[in-house]
Amino acid sequence: MSDNEHTYLLEVDRVSQSYGTEKVLRDISFEMDRGDVTVLVGPSGSGKSTMLRCVNRLTEIDSGNIYLDGERITGPDVDVNELRKEVGMVFQDFNLFAHLTARQNIMLGPRRVLGLDKEEAGKRADEHLEMVGLTPQADSYPGELSGGQQQRVGIARALAMEPKLMLFDEPTSALDPELIGEVLEVMRDLADRGMTMLVVTHEMSFAREVASEMLFLDGGKIVERGPPEQLFDRPEEDRTASFLRRITEMHS
Amino acid sequence: MSEPVVDTTHEEGETRLSTGGLGRTLLVAAGVVFWGWLLLRWANDWLGGLFVPVGQPFVAPATIESLGASIPGLAGAFDALAFAVEYLPALSEGLWLTLVLTVLGIFFGFFIAVPLSVARVYGNLSKYVSLLYTELLRGTPLLAQLFVLYFGLNISGYVPGFLDGVFANNAAWAALVGFILNSAAYQSEYIRSALQSVDTGQLTAGRAIGLSKVDAIRYVVLPQGLRFAIPGWTNELIYLIKYSSLAAFITVPELFKRANDIASSNFRYTAMFTITAVLYLALVITASRMMNYVEDRTAIPGLGTGSGR
Ligand SMILES: Nc1ncnc2c1ncn2[C@@H]1O[C@H](COP(=O)(O)OP(=O)(O)OP(=O)(O)O)[C@@H](O)[C@H]1O
Ligand SMILES: [Mg+2]
Repeated sequence: MSDNEHTYLLEVDRVSQSYGTEKVLRDISFEMDRGDVTVLVGPSGSGKSTMLRCVNRLTEIDSGNIYLDGERITGPDVDVNELRKEVGMVFQDFNLFAHLTARQNIMLGPRRVLGLDKEEAGKRADEHLEMVGLTPQADSYPGELSGGQQQRVGIARALAMEPKLMLFDEPTSALDPELIGEVLEVMRDLADRGMTMLVVTHEMSFAREVASEMLFLDGGKIVERGPPEQLFDRPEEDRTASFLRRITEMHS
Repeated sequence: MSEPVVDTTHEEGETRLSTGGLGRTLLVAAGVVFWGWLLLRWANDWLGGLFVPVGQPFVAPATIESLGASIPGLAGAFDALAFAVEYLPALSEGLWLTLVLTVLGIFFGFFIAVPLSVARVYGNLSKYVSLLYTELLRGTPLLAQLFVLYFGLNISGYVPGFLDGVFANNAAWAALVGFILNSAAYQSEYIRSALQSVDTGQLTAGRAIGLSKVDAIRYVVLPQGLRFAIPGWTNELIYLIKYSSLAAFITVPELFKRANDIASSNFRYTAMFTITAVLYLALVITASRMMNYVEDRTAIPGLGTGSGR
Protein backbone atom coordinates (compact mmCIF):
# COMPACT_ATOMS: atom_id res chain seq x y z
CA MET A 1 0.00 0.00 0.00
CA SER A 2 2.98 2.30 0.48
CA ASP A 3 2.99 4.98 -2.13
CA ASN A 4 5.98 7.15 -2.94
CA GLU A 5 3.77 10.03 -4.04
CA HIS A 6 2.51 10.55 -0.49
CA THR A 7 5.47 11.47 1.63
CA TYR A 8 3.70 13.60 4.24
CA LEU A 9 2.83 12.23 7.64
CA LEU A 10 -0.77 13.29 7.09
CA GLU A 11 -2.28 14.20 3.79
CA VAL A 12 -5.91 15.19 3.53
CA ASP A 13 -6.90 15.23 -0.11
CA ARG A 14 -10.15 16.88 -1.26
CA VAL A 15 -12.20 15.46 1.57
CA SER A 16 -15.95 16.06 1.74
CA GLN A 17 -18.32 14.85 4.40
CA SER A 18 -21.99 15.33 5.18
CA TYR A 19 -24.53 14.27 7.76
CA GLY A 20 -27.59 13.39 5.70
CA THR A 21 -28.21 16.36 3.47
CA GLU A 22 -26.13 18.75 5.59
CA LYS A 23 -22.73 19.29 4.00
CA VAL A 24 -20.17 19.65 6.77
CA LEU A 25 -16.77 19.42 5.03
CA ARG A 26 -16.35 20.71 1.49
CA ASP A 27 -13.30 19.69 -0.47
CA ILE A 28 -10.75 20.02 2.32
CA SER A 29 -7.07 19.55 1.49
CA PHE A 30 -4.02 20.06 3.69
CA GLU A 31 -0.82 18.27 4.62
CA MET A 32 1.34 17.87 7.71
CA ASP A 33 5.01 16.95 7.89
CA ARG A 34 6.47 14.95 10.75
CA GLY A 35 6.73 17.14 13.83
CA ASP A 36 4.24 19.71 12.55
CA VAL A 37 1.73 21.28 14.89
CA THR A 38 -1.29 22.33 12.87
CA VAL A 39 -3.91 24.40 14.66
CA LEU A 40 -7.45 24.30 13.31
CA VAL A 41 -9.64 27.30 14.17
CA GLY A 42 -13.08 28.34 13.10
CA PRO A 43 -16.54 29.26 14.35
CA SER A 44 -18.83 26.77 16.05
CA GLY A 45 -20.30 24.30 13.57
CA SER A 46 -17.63 24.94 10.95
CA GLY A 47 -16.64 21.26 10.97
CA LYS A 48 -13.45 21.22 13.08
CA SER A 49 -14.42 18.23 15.23
CA THR A 50 -15.74 16.44 12.18
CA MET A 51 -12.42 16.94 10.41
CA LEU A 52 -10.51 15.39 13.33
CA ARG A 53 -12.94 12.49 13.57
CA CYS A 54 -12.47 11.72 9.88
CA VAL A 55 -8.75 11.26 10.46
CA ASN A 56 -9.27 8.38 12.92
CA ARG A 57 -12.48 7.34 11.18
CA LEU A 58 -14.86 7.88 14.02
CA THR A 59 -16.71 9.60 11.18
CA GLU A 60 -16.72 8.38 7.58
CA ILE A 61 -16.03 10.70 4.66
CA ASP A 62 -18.13 10.90 1.47
CA SER A 63 -15.32 11.54 -0.99
CA GLY A 64 -11.61 12.30 -1.17
CA ASN A 65 -8.70 10.49 0.43
CA ILE A 66 -6.68 10.63 3.62
CA TYR A 67 -3.13 9.26 3.80
CA LEU A 68 -1.21 8.56 6.99
CA ASP A 69 2.52 8.05 6.61
CA GLY A 70 2.09 7.23 2.94
CA GLU A 71 -0.77 4.79 3.35
CA ARG A 72 -4.34 5.42 2.39
CA ILE A 73 -6.50 5.12 5.50
CA THR A 74 -9.85 5.77 3.87
CA GLY A 75 -11.68 3.05 1.99
CA PRO A 76 -13.53 -0.05 3.12
CA ASP A 77 -10.48 -2.36 3.14
CA VAL A 78 -8.71 -0.46 5.94
CA ASP A 79 -8.80 -1.96 9.45
CA VAL A 80 -9.94 1.00 11.57
CA ASN A 81 -8.65 -0.54 14.80
CA GLU A 82 -5.16 -0.81 13.26
CA LEU A 83 -5.39 2.80 12.12
CA ARG A 84 -6.44 3.98 15.57
CA LYS A 85 -3.31 2.49 17.13
CA GLU A 86 -1.39 5.08 15.11
CA VAL A 87 -3.60 8.08 15.83
CA GLY A 88 -4.20 9.30 19.37
CA MET A 89 -7.19 11.45 20.28
CA VAL A 90 -7.80 13.82 23.17
CA PHE A 91 -11.36 14.95 23.88
CA GLN A 92 -12.92 18.12 25.18
CA ASP A 93 -14.71 16.21 27.98
CA PHE A 94 -11.68 14.00 28.74
CA ASN A 95 -13.82 10.84 28.46
CA LEU A 96 -11.69 8.95 30.95
CA PHE A 97 -12.84 5.45 31.88
CA ALA A 98 -14.56 6.27 35.16
CA HIS A 99 -14.12 2.85 36.76
CA LEU A 100 -10.35 2.74 36.24
CA THR A 101 -7.56 4.57 38.05
CA ALA A 102 -5.34 6.98 36.14
CA ARG A 103 -2.76 4.25 35.72
CA GLN A 104 -5.35 1.68 34.59
CA ASN A 105 -6.80 4.16 32.12
CA ILE A 106 -3.42 4.42 30.46
CA MET A 107 -2.78 0.67 30.61
CA LEU A 108 -6.02 -0.44 28.95
CA GLY A 109 -4.98 0.31 25.35
CA PRO A 110 -1.47 -1.16 25.59
CA ARG A 111 -2.88 -4.29 27.23
CA ARG A 112 -6.04 -4.95 25.24
CA VAL A 113 -5.09 -3.41 21.89
CA LEU A 114 -1.31 -3.81 21.67
CA GLY A 115 -1.28 -7.06 23.62
CA LEU A 116 1.36 -6.06 26.16
CA ASP A 117 1.40 -8.02 29.39
CA LYS A 118 0.36 -6.41 32.65
CA GLU A 119 3.88 -5.59 33.73
CA GLU A 120 4.97 -4.01 30.44
CA ALA A 121 1.75 -2.02 30.20
CA GLY A 122 2.22 -0.86 33.80
CA LYS A 123 5.73 0.29 33.06
CA ARG A 124 4.55 2.18 30.03
CA ALA A 125 1.77 3.79 32.06
CA ASP A 126 4.23 4.90 34.72
CA GLU A 127 6.48 6.51 32.12
CA HIS A 128 3.59 8.47 30.65
CA LEU A 129 2.24 9.44 34.05
CA GLU A 130 5.62 10.90 34.82
CA MET A 131 5.68 12.73 31.52
CA VAL A 132 2.40 14.51 32.31
CA GLY A 133 3.49 15.06 35.92
CA LEU A 134 0.91 12.80 37.58
CA THR A 135 3.01 10.10 39.21
CA PRO A 136 1.48 10.82 42.66
CA GLN A 137 -2.06 10.48 41.24
CA ALA A 138 -1.43 7.10 39.60
CA ASP A 139 -3.98 5.28 41.74
CA SER A 140 -6.64 7.99 41.81
CA TYR A 141 -9.93 7.51 40.01
CA PRO A 142 -11.08 10.14 37.49
CA GLY A 143 -13.73 11.29 39.97
CA GLU A 144 -10.95 12.18 42.39
CA LEU A 145 -8.94 14.29 39.92
CA SER A 146 -9.29 17.92 38.87
CA GLY A 147 -10.25 18.68 35.28
CA GLY A 148 -6.70 19.61 34.40
CA GLN A 149 -5.38 16.38 35.89
CA GLN A 150 -8.04 14.37 34.08
CA GLN A 151 -7.10 15.90 30.76
CA ARG A 152 -3.42 15.15 31.37
CA VAL A 153 -4.39 11.52 31.99
CA GLY A 154 -6.36 11.70 28.73
CA ILE A 155 -3.23 12.84 26.93
CA ALA A 156 -1.11 10.15 28.58
CA ARG A 157 -3.69 7.51 27.67
CA ALA A 158 -3.43 8.47 23.99
CA LEU A 159 0.38 8.74 24.08
CA ALA A 160 0.81 5.31 25.63
CA MET A 161 -0.24 3.80 22.31
CA GLU A 162 2.86 5.51 20.85
CA PRO A 163 0.91 7.06 17.99
CA LYS A 164 2.35 8.78 14.95
CA LEU A 165 -0.18 11.58 15.13
CA MET A 166 -2.13 13.17 17.97
CA LEU A 167 -5.54 14.80 17.53
CA PHE A 168 -6.72 17.33 20.12
CA ASP A 169 -10.35 18.47 20.05
CA GLU A 170 -10.59 21.60 22.21
CA PRO A 171 -8.60 19.99 25.02
CA THR A 172 -8.91 22.99 27.34
CA SER A 173 -12.45 24.22 26.59
CA ALA A 174 -14.05 22.38 29.51
CA LEU A 175 -11.47 23.57 32.03
CA ASP A 176 -11.57 26.34 34.59
CA PRO A 177 -9.20 29.11 33.48
CA GLU A 178 -6.66 28.37 36.21
CA LEU A 179 -6.30 24.76 35.01
CA ILE A 180 -5.73 25.50 31.32
CA GLY A 181 -2.05 26.29 31.76
CA GLU A 182 -0.99 22.88 33.02
CA VAL A 183 -2.58 21.14 30.02
CA LEU A 184 -1.10 23.56 27.49
CA GLU A 185 2.28 23.07 29.12
CA VAL A 186 2.08 19.31 28.53
CA MET A 187 1.08 19.95 24.91
CA ARG A 188 3.95 22.38 24.41
CA ASP A 189 6.34 19.82 25.85
CA LEU A 190 4.97 17.22 23.47
CA ALA A 191 5.45 19.54 20.49
CA ASP A 192 9.05 20.15 21.59
CA ARG A 193 9.64 16.40 21.59
CA GLY A 194 8.65 16.34 17.93
CA MET A 195 5.14 14.88 18.13
CA THR A 196 2.96 15.62 15.12
CA MET A 197 -0.20 17.28 16.41
CA LEU A 198 -3.46 18.41 14.83
CA VAL A 199 -5.11 20.70 17.35
CA VAL A 200 -8.51 22.39 17.53
CA THR A 201 -8.28 25.16 20.10
CA HIS A 202 -9.36 28.66 20.98
CA GLU A 203 -6.12 29.29 22.90
CA MET A 204 -4.61 31.82 20.53
CA SER A 205 -1.41 32.36 22.47
CA PHE A 206 -0.72 28.64 22.22
CA ALA A 207 -1.42 28.75 18.48
CA ARG A 208 0.85 31.72 17.95
CA GLU A 209 3.74 30.19 19.88
CA VAL A 210 3.53 26.54 18.95
CA ALA A 211 1.74 26.16 15.61
CA SER A 212 3.76 25.53 12.50
CA GLU A 213 0.65 26.22 10.50
CA MET A 214 -2.88 27.43 11.13
CA LEU A 215 -6.00 26.56 9.19
CA PHE A 216 -9.05 28.78 9.40
CA LEU A 217 -12.17 26.77 8.67
CA ASP A 218 -15.56 28.32 7.98
CA GLY A 219 -18.65 26.66 6.57
CA GLY A 220 -16.72 23.44 6.02
CA LYS A 221 -14.10 25.14 3.83
CA ILE A 222 -10.53 26.21 4.48
CA VAL A 223 -10.78 29.96 4.13
CA GLU A 224 -7.15 30.66 4.85
CA ARG A 225 -4.05 28.74 5.82
CA GLY A 226 -0.52 29.79 6.67
CA PRO A 227 1.92 30.32 9.50
CA PRO A 228 0.39 31.92 12.61
CA GLU A 229 2.18 35.25 11.99
CA GLN A 230 0.37 35.52 8.67
CA LEU A 231 -3.09 34.77 10.04
CA PHE A 232 -2.70 36.97 13.09
CA ASP A 233 -0.71 39.88 11.69
CA ARG A 234 -1.45 40.14 7.96
CA PRO A 235 -4.42 37.92 7.10
CA GLU A 236 -5.43 37.84 3.47
CA GLU A 237 -9.12 37.33 4.19
CA ASP A 238 -11.40 39.71 6.08
CA ARG A 239 -13.24 36.78 7.64
CA THR A 240 -9.99 35.49 9.14
CA ALA A 241 -9.16 38.86 10.57
CA SER A 242 -12.54 39.42 12.20
CA PHE A 243 -12.76 35.86 13.57
CA LEU A 244 -9.29 35.90 15.12
CA ARG A 245 -9.87 39.37 16.57
CA ARG A 246 -13.10 38.20 18.18
CA ILE A 247 -11.58 35.00 19.56
CA THR A 248 -8.53 36.77 20.94
CA GLU A 249 -10.70 39.34 22.73
CA MET A 250 -12.97 36.64 24.18
CA HIS A 251 -10.09 34.63 25.58
CA SER A 252 -7.96 37.33 27.13
CA MET B 1 -30.09 30.55 73.41
CA SER B 2 -27.88 28.72 70.97
CA GLU B 3 -26.24 26.42 73.47
CA PRO B 4 -29.22 24.19 74.32
CA VAL B 5 -30.00 23.88 70.60
CA VAL B 6 -26.54 22.57 69.90
CA ASP B 7 -26.84 20.19 72.85
CA THR B 8 -30.15 18.80 71.64
CA THR B 9 -28.91 18.02 68.16
CA HIS B 10 -25.84 16.45 69.65
CA GLU B 11 -27.94 14.20 71.88
CA GLU B 12 -30.30 13.34 69.04
CA GLY B 13 -27.40 12.35 66.91
CA GLU B 14 -26.03 10.14 69.65
CA THR B 15 -29.38 8.51 70.29
CA ARG B 16 -29.85 7.75 66.62
CA LEU B 17 -26.36 6.36 66.46
CA SER B 18 -26.84 4.06 69.44
CA THR B 19 -30.25 2.72 68.34
CA GLY B 20 -28.72 2.20 64.89
CA GLY B 21 -25.95 0.27 66.57
CA LEU B 22 -28.42 -1.73 68.63
CA GLY B 23 -30.60 -2.48 65.62
CA ARG B 24 -27.58 -3.61 63.72
CA THR B 25 -26.42 -5.82 66.56
CA LEU B 26 -29.87 -7.42 66.86
CA LEU B 27 -29.99 -7.99 63.11
CA VAL B 28 -26.56 -9.59 63.08
CA ALA B 29 -27.47 -11.74 66.11
CA ALA B 30 -30.72 -12.88 64.44
CA GLY B 31 -28.75 -13.66 61.28
CA VAL B 32 -26.20 -15.72 63.17
CA VAL B 33 -28.94 -17.66 64.97
CA PHE B 34 -30.92 -18.26 61.77
CA TRP B 35 -28.02 -19.33 59.56
CA GLY B 36 -26.32 -21.21 62.38
CA TRP B 37 -29.46 -23.22 62.96
CA LEU B 38 -30.10 -23.76 59.24
CA LEU B 39 -26.58 -24.95 58.45
CA LEU B 40 -26.54 -27.28 61.45
CA ARG B 41 -29.95 -28.57 60.45
CA TRP B 42 -28.89 -29.36 56.89
CA ALA B 43 -25.61 -30.88 58.05
CA ASN B 44 -27.45 -33.07 60.54
CA ASP B 45 -30.05 -34.32 58.06
CA TRP B 46 -27.67 -34.90 55.14
CA LEU B 47 -25.08 -36.71 57.17
CA GLY B 48 -27.66 -39.17 58.43
CA GLY B 49 -28.32 -37.65 61.85
CA LEU B 50 -25.12 -36.11 63.13
CA PHE B 51 -26.60 -34.70 66.37
CA VAL B 52 -30.25 -35.82 66.45
CA PRO B 53 -32.16 -38.31 64.29
CA VAL B 54 -32.88 -37.06 60.75
CA GLY B 55 -35.90 -34.74 60.71
CA GLN B 56 -36.13 -34.50 64.51
CA PRO B 57 -35.89 -31.08 66.21
CA PHE B 58 -32.64 -30.30 68.06
CA VAL B 59 -34.67 -29.55 71.19
CA ALA B 60 -37.84 -31.58 71.82
CA PRO B 61 -41.03 -29.43 71.70
CA ALA B 62 -42.20 -31.03 74.92
CA THR B 63 -39.09 -29.77 76.72
CA ILE B 64 -39.81 -26.23 75.59
CA GLU B 65 -43.43 -26.47 76.66
CA SER B 66 -42.56 -27.69 80.12
CA LEU B 67 -39.93 -24.94 80.38
CA GLY B 68 -42.61 -22.37 79.57
CA ALA B 69 -45.00 -23.85 82.09
CA SER B 70 -42.61 -22.92 84.89
CA ILE B 71 -42.45 -19.25 83.88
CA PRO B 72 -45.74 -17.50 84.61
CA GLY B 73 -47.14 -15.36 81.76
CA LEU B 74 -44.82 -16.72 79.13
CA ALA B 75 -46.48 -20.09 78.65
CA GLY B 76 -48.24 -18.94 75.47
CA ALA B 77 -45.01 -17.75 73.87
CA PHE B 78 -43.26 -20.99 74.69
CA ASP B 79 -46.14 -23.00 73.27
CA ALA B 80 -45.81 -21.09 70.00
CA LEU B 81 -42.07 -21.68 69.99
CA ALA B 82 -42.59 -25.39 70.63
CA PHE B 83 -45.03 -25.52 67.71
CA ALA B 84 -42.49 -23.85 65.41
CA VAL B 85 -39.69 -26.13 66.55
CA GLU B 86 -41.80 -29.18 65.76
CA TYR B 87 -42.20 -28.24 62.08
CA LEU B 88 -38.95 -26.39 61.36
CA PRO B 89 -37.03 -29.53 60.33
CA ALA B 90 -39.56 -30.24 57.59
CA LEU B 91 -39.61 -26.58 56.51
CA SER B 92 -35.80 -26.45 56.37
CA GLU B 93 -35.90 -29.02 53.56
CA GLY B 94 -38.23 -26.76 51.59
CA LEU B 95 -36.04 -23.80 52.43
CA TRP B 96 -33.10 -25.57 50.82
CA LEU B 97 -34.98 -26.03 47.58
CA THR B 98 -36.23 -22.45 47.60
CA LEU B 99 -32.70 -21.17 48.12
CA VAL B 100 -31.10 -23.39 45.48
CA LEU B 101 -33.74 -22.70 42.82
CA THR B 102 -33.53 -18.94 43.44
CA VAL B 103 -29.74 -18.73 43.46
CA LEU B 104 -29.31 -20.92 40.38
CA GLY B 105 -32.16 -19.15 38.61
CA ILE B 106 -30.57 -15.76 39.19
CA PHE B 107 -27.06 -17.01 38.46
CA PHE B 108 -27.76 -18.66 35.10
CA GLY B 109 -30.32 -16.00 34.25
CA PHE B 110 -27.57 -13.42 34.63
CA PHE B 111 -25.50 -15.00 31.87
CA ILE B 112 -28.47 -14.79 29.52
CA ALA B 113 -29.37 -11.29 30.73
CA VAL B 114 -26.00 -9.72 29.93
CA PRO B 115 -26.02 -10.56 26.19
CA LEU B 116 -29.73 -9.70 26.05
CA SER B 117 -29.12 -6.25 27.48
CA VAL B 118 -26.03 -5.61 25.34
CA ALA B 119 -28.08 -6.59 22.29
CA ARG B 120 -30.85 -4.22 23.35
CA VAL B 121 -28.47 -1.27 23.65
CA TYR B 122 -25.92 -1.94 20.90
CA GLY B 123 -27.46 -4.52 18.59
CA ASN B 124 -29.08 -3.99 15.19
CA LEU B 125 -31.25 -6.98 14.40
CA SER B 126 -30.47 -8.69 17.70
CA LYS B 127 -32.02 -5.70 19.44
CA TYR B 128 -35.46 -6.80 18.24
CA VAL B 129 -34.87 -10.43 19.13
CA SER B 130 -33.92 -9.32 22.64
CA LEU B 131 -36.90 -6.98 22.86
CA LEU B 132 -39.29 -9.73 21.78
CA TYR B 133 -37.88 -12.17 24.33
CA THR B 134 -37.97 -9.67 27.16
CA GLU B 135 -41.49 -8.48 26.44
CA LEU B 136 -42.78 -12.02 26.07
CA LEU B 137 -41.36 -13.18 29.39
CA ARG B 138 -42.19 -10.05 31.32
CA GLY B 139 -45.60 -9.78 29.74
CA THR B 140 -46.89 -13.21 30.76
CA PRO B 141 -47.36 -14.60 34.28
CA LEU B 142 -44.52 -16.67 35.70
CA LEU B 143 -47.08 -19.25 36.80
CA ALA B 144 -48.28 -19.65 33.19
CA GLN B 145 -44.66 -20.08 32.08
CA LEU B 146 -44.12 -22.78 34.70
CA PHE B 147 -47.29 -24.56 33.56
CA VAL B 148 -46.14 -24.52 29.96
CA LEU B 149 -42.72 -25.89 30.90
CA TYR B 150 -44.05 -28.56 33.27
CA PHE B 151 -47.41 -29.65 31.88
CA GLY B 152 -47.03 -28.52 28.27
CA LEU B 153 -43.42 -29.27 27.40
CA ASN B 154 -42.97 -31.84 30.17
CA ILE B 155 -39.44 -30.61 30.87
CA SER B 156 -39.10 -32.85 33.91
CA GLY B 157 -39.68 -35.88 31.70
CA TYR B 158 -36.47 -35.13 29.79
CA VAL B 159 -34.04 -34.75 32.68
CA PRO B 160 -30.84 -36.58 31.66
CA GLY B 161 -29.91 -39.60 33.74
CA PHE B 162 -26.97 -38.08 35.57
CA LEU B 163 -29.15 -35.20 36.83
CA ASP B 164 -31.97 -37.49 37.85
CA GLY B 165 -32.31 -37.54 41.61
CA VAL B 166 -30.37 -34.34 42.26
CA PHE B 167 -33.66 -32.87 43.45
CA ALA B 168 -36.24 -34.84 45.37
CA ASN B 169 -38.68 -34.22 42.53
CA ASN B 170 -37.78 -33.70 38.87
CA ALA B 171 -40.42 -30.98 38.65
CA ALA B 172 -37.73 -28.80 40.25
CA TRP B 173 -35.88 -28.85 36.92
CA ALA B 174 -38.88 -27.38 35.15
CA ALA B 175 -39.08 -24.72 37.84
CA LEU B 176 -35.37 -23.97 37.50
CA VAL B 177 -35.62 -23.56 33.73
CA GLY B 178 -38.60 -21.27 34.25
CA PHE B 179 -36.79 -19.14 36.83
CA ILE B 180 -33.69 -18.84 34.62
CA LEU B 181 -35.65 -17.78 31.55
CA ASN B 182 -37.95 -15.45 33.46
CA SER B 183 -35.33 -13.79 35.62
CA ALA B 184 -33.08 -13.33 32.57
CA ALA B 185 -35.76 -11.10 31.09
CA TYR B 186 -36.13 -9.00 34.24
CA GLN B 187 -32.40 -8.83 34.91
CA SER B 188 -31.75 -7.73 31.33
CA GLU B 189 -34.10 -4.78 31.81
CA TYR B 190 -32.21 -3.61 34.89
CA ILE B 191 -28.86 -4.07 33.17
CA ARG B 192 -30.07 -2.37 29.98
CA SER B 193 -31.03 0.83 31.76
CA ALA B 194 -27.75 0.73 33.68
CA LEU B 195 -25.75 0.36 30.45
CA GLN B 196 -27.60 3.31 28.97
CA SER B 197 -26.55 5.47 31.89
CA VAL B 198 -22.85 4.94 31.10
CA ASP B 199 -21.69 8.07 29.35
CA THR B 200 -21.26 7.36 25.60
CA GLY B 201 -18.11 9.48 25.35
CA GLN B 202 -16.23 6.70 27.11
CA LEU B 203 -17.26 4.21 24.44
CA THR B 204 -15.96 6.64 21.81
CA ALA B 205 -12.72 7.03 23.75
CA GLY B 206 -12.37 3.26 23.89
CA ARG B 207 -12.91 2.99 20.15
CA ALA B 208 -10.42 5.82 19.60
CA ILE B 209 -7.58 3.86 21.23
CA GLY B 210 -8.34 0.96 18.90
CA LEU B 211 -10.63 -1.27 20.94
CA SER B 212 -13.18 -3.14 18.84
CA LYS B 213 -16.80 -2.40 19.69
CA VAL B 214 -17.15 -5.69 21.54
CA ASP B 215 -13.98 -5.04 23.58
CA ALA B 216 -14.99 -1.46 24.32
CA ILE B 217 -18.33 -2.70 25.66
CA ARG B 218 -16.59 -5.45 27.60
CA TYR B 219 -13.81 -3.40 29.18
CA VAL B 220 -15.40 0.04 29.43
CA VAL B 221 -19.19 -0.06 29.46
CA LEU B 222 -20.03 -3.34 31.21
CA PRO B 223 -17.84 -2.88 34.30
CA GLN B 224 -19.63 0.40 34.96
CA GLY B 225 -23.09 -0.67 33.82
CA LEU B 226 -23.06 -3.76 36.02
CA ARG B 227 -22.16 -1.64 39.03
CA PHE B 228 -25.03 0.74 38.27
CA ALA B 229 -27.32 -2.28 37.93
CA ILE B 230 -26.73 -3.65 41.44
CA PRO B 231 -29.62 -1.88 43.22
CA GLY B 232 -32.20 -2.86 40.60
CA TRP B 233 -30.71 -6.30 40.33
CA THR B 234 -31.12 -6.73 44.10
CA ASN B 235 -34.84 -6.12 43.62
CA GLU B 236 -35.00 -8.93 41.10
CA LEU B 237 -33.22 -11.27 43.51
CA ILE B 238 -35.71 -10.43 46.25
CA TYR B 239 -38.67 -10.87 43.91
CA LEU B 240 -37.45 -14.27 42.82
CA ILE B 241 -36.98 -15.48 46.41
CA LYS B 242 -40.68 -14.83 46.93
CA TYR B 243 -41.97 -15.76 43.45
CA SER B 244 -40.14 -19.06 43.62
CA SER B 245 -43.12 -20.12 45.76
CA LEU B 246 -45.07 -20.48 42.51
CA ALA B 247 -43.11 -23.69 41.95
CA ALA B 248 -45.45 -25.21 44.55
CA PHE B 249 -48.14 -25.26 41.85
CA ILE B 250 -46.08 -27.65 39.73
CA THR B 251 -45.52 -29.97 42.71
CA VAL B 252 -42.02 -28.77 43.67
CA PRO B 253 -41.65 -29.32 47.44
CA GLU B 254 -40.10 -25.94 48.18
CA LEU B 255 -40.79 -23.89 51.30
CA PHE B 256 -44.31 -22.77 50.44
CA LYS B 257 -45.49 -26.23 49.38
CA ARG B 258 -44.04 -27.79 52.50
CA ALA B 259 -45.84 -25.31 54.71
CA ASN B 260 -49.07 -25.72 52.80
CA ASP B 261 -48.91 -29.51 52.99
CA ILE B 262 -48.31 -29.46 56.73
CA ALA B 263 -51.04 -26.89 57.28
CA SER B 264 -53.57 -29.00 55.37
CA SER B 265 -52.95 -31.85 57.76
CA ASN B 266 -52.84 -29.96 61.08
CA PHE B 267 -55.22 -27.15 60.04
CA ARG B 268 -53.10 -24.50 61.76
CA TYR B 269 -52.83 -22.33 58.67
CA THR B 270 -52.14 -19.03 60.41
CA ALA B 271 -49.36 -20.41 62.55
CA MET B 272 -47.75 -22.35 59.68
CA PHE B 273 -47.77 -19.45 57.26
CA THR B 274 -46.53 -17.02 59.89
CA ILE B 275 -43.48 -19.23 60.44
CA THR B 276 -43.05 -19.53 56.68
CA ALA B 277 -43.26 -15.78 56.26
CA VAL B 278 -40.54 -15.31 58.87
CA LEU B 279 -38.31 -17.75 56.98
CA TYR B 280 -38.85 -15.92 53.67
CA LEU B 281 -38.12 -12.66 55.47
CA ALA B 282 -34.83 -14.06 56.76
CA LEU B 283 -33.81 -15.00 53.22
CA VAL B 284 -34.81 -11.62 51.84
CA ILE B 285 -32.98 -9.64 54.53
CA THR B 286 -29.89 -11.78 54.05
CA ALA B 287 -30.00 -11.20 50.29
CA SER B 288 -30.41 -7.44 50.57
CA ARG B 289 -27.64 -7.16 53.20
CA MET B 290 -25.32 -9.19 51.02
CA MET B 291 -26.03 -7.06 47.97
CA ASN B 292 -25.47 -3.88 50.02
CA TYR B 293 -22.10 -5.28 50.92
CA VAL B 294 -21.28 -6.11 47.32
CA GLU B 295 -22.36 -2.61 46.28
CA ASP B 296 -20.07 -1.04 48.87
CA ARG B 297 -17.16 -3.26 47.97
CA THR B 298 -17.39 -2.55 44.26
CA ALA B 299 -18.08 1.19 44.60
CA ILE B 300 -15.69 3.49 42.73
CA PRO B 301 -14.90 6.91 44.20
CA GLY B 302 -16.72 9.59 42.25
CA LEU B 303 -18.76 7.13 40.19
CA GLY B 304 -22.52 6.56 40.36
CA THR B 305 -23.87 7.45 43.79
CA GLY B 306 -20.68 9.38 44.59
CA SER B 307 -19.90 12.95 43.68
CA GLY B 308 -19.23 12.12 40.02
CA ARG B 309 -22.62 12.73 38.41
N1 LIG C 1 -23.40 13.18 14.65
C1 LIG C 1 -23.89 14.22 13.93
N2 LIG C 1 -25.05 14.09 13.27
C2 LIG C 1 -25.55 15.11 12.55
N3 LIG C 1 -24.97 16.31 12.44
C3 LIG C 1 -23.80 16.51 13.07
C4 LIG C 1 -23.20 15.46 13.86
N4 LIG C 1 -22.05 15.94 14.38
C5 LIG C 1 -21.94 17.20 13.94
N5 LIG C 1 -22.98 17.56 13.15
C6 LIG C 1 -23.16 18.82 12.47
O1 LIG C 1 -22.03 19.05 11.68
C7 LIG C 1 -21.63 20.41 11.73
C8 LIG C 1 -20.17 20.52 12.13
O2 LIG C 1 -20.04 20.04 13.45
P1 LIG C 1 -18.64 19.99 14.19
O3 LIG C 1 -18.89 19.38 15.50
O4 LIG C 1 -17.64 19.37 13.30
O5 LIG C 1 -18.31 21.53 14.34
P2 LIG C 1 -17.18 22.23 15.19
O6 LIG C 1 -16.47 23.13 14.27
O7 LIG C 1 -16.38 21.23 15.91
O8 LIG C 1 -18.02 23.10 16.21
P3 LIG C 1 -17.76 23.45 17.75
O9 LIG C 1 -16.78 24.57 17.76
O10 LIG C 1 -19.09 23.85 18.25
O11 LIG C 1 -17.24 22.20 18.40
C9 LIG C 1 -22.57 21.11 12.70
O12 LIG C 1 -23.55 21.80 11.95
C10 LIG C 1 -23.21 19.99 13.45
O13 LIG C 1 -24.53 20.30 13.80
MG1 LIG D 1 -16.15 20.64 17.97
